[in-house]
Amino acid sequence: MKTRLVAIIVVLLLVVLSVQSSPKKKFGKELTLKEKTKISDVIANPEKFNGKRIQIEGPIVGVCEKRGCWIKVGGEKEGESLRFKVEDGVIVFPMEIKGKTVVAEGVVNVTTYSKEDLIKAGEHEAKEQGKTFDSTSVTGPKIVLQINGEGAVVGK
Amino acid sequence: MDFRWRRWNNLLHRDIGYISVAMVLVYGISGLAVNHIADWNPNYTHIKNIVHAEPFSGKTKSEIIAEAKLKLNLQSDPQNYFRADSSTAQLFFEQKTYSIDLPTGTVLIESTPARRVLFEMNQLHLNAAKGLWTYVADFFAVSLIFMGISGMFMIKGTNGLSGRGKWFVAAGTLIPLSYWLFTLYF
Repeated sequence: MKTRLVAIIVVLLLVVLSVQSSPKKKFGKELTLKEKTKISDVIANPEKFNGKRIQIEGPIVGVCEKRGCWIKVGGEKEGESLRFKVEDGVIVFPMEIKGKTVVAEGVVNVTTYSKEDLIKAGEHEAKEQGKTFDSTSVTGPKIVLQINGEGAVVGK
Repeated sequence: MDFRWRRWNNLLHRDIGYISVAMVLVYGISGLAVNHIADWNPNYTHIKNIVHAEPFSGKTKSEIIAEAKLKLNLQSDPQNYFRADSSTAQLFFEQKTYSIDLPTGTVLIESTPARRVLFEMNQLHLNAAKGLWTYVADFFAVSLIFMGISGMFMIKGTNGLSGRGKWFVAAGTLIPLSYWLFTLYF
């Protein structure tokens, strides 16, 4: 009986360890595209790429700290980066990957928020956080560009 | 006959309960931690340090890296480099980021070490590992369902389900039911 129990515990530990030690370099779906798109090209002409599936490569310059639900990929030009957003819980990026190089694939999403939408969202956020919101700080519509991420491979 | 099924019910409830102790603790503790994610980060601590160096004169990537290694006493080349804006260069090392304000030489050093144990618990609870762990978590979920149901039939009499037990079950059922009704009508 004791031997069996020890065997069960050892098997369970091995299962846990195999999960823990498995390489976490691949996230989500397999990459399928053969060609990479320059981040600077997407930023320069977002409407051209809106709704298209693309593959990008660059340094991971930011990671969602709380939920691991996005990474920010640095572009080729100064100050340019793209947010690679994944579905909450489907892919979880760990902080350890910050600074490493990623090849990531997903669909470009361009959303335009009107001035009214931005004021409404700002007021809602301020209310939630118990802060005040100055609606005059919103000067006009805003275009938010991101990639709806499906898969990523993080290298060194 | 009644004795036999109840005996098996209690025996399985007991032994599956023993097997599930660690998992219950993992899911319970992690549940508490991630429930309050709006107030704190249950996975990482964010450490920030600011150091002051001489202003940077380098213009190119290689010049800035060479200057940073000298001024900040860095032993190796960074994994990656990013020019965040015209005055800020970021150098990425293993779990450490140096954000250099080039004109002033002010350097923000950030690291986000994981909250050990709690991080692993959250990874398991939220099934970050996917793959094999999905089946382990499924098994645990089925075990919980079994323990919930089998727990109602462990004893007979006034303390059993037919006695005061049914009122406790009804009170417990009201918790999710009232929330569901609240979200439905309010």
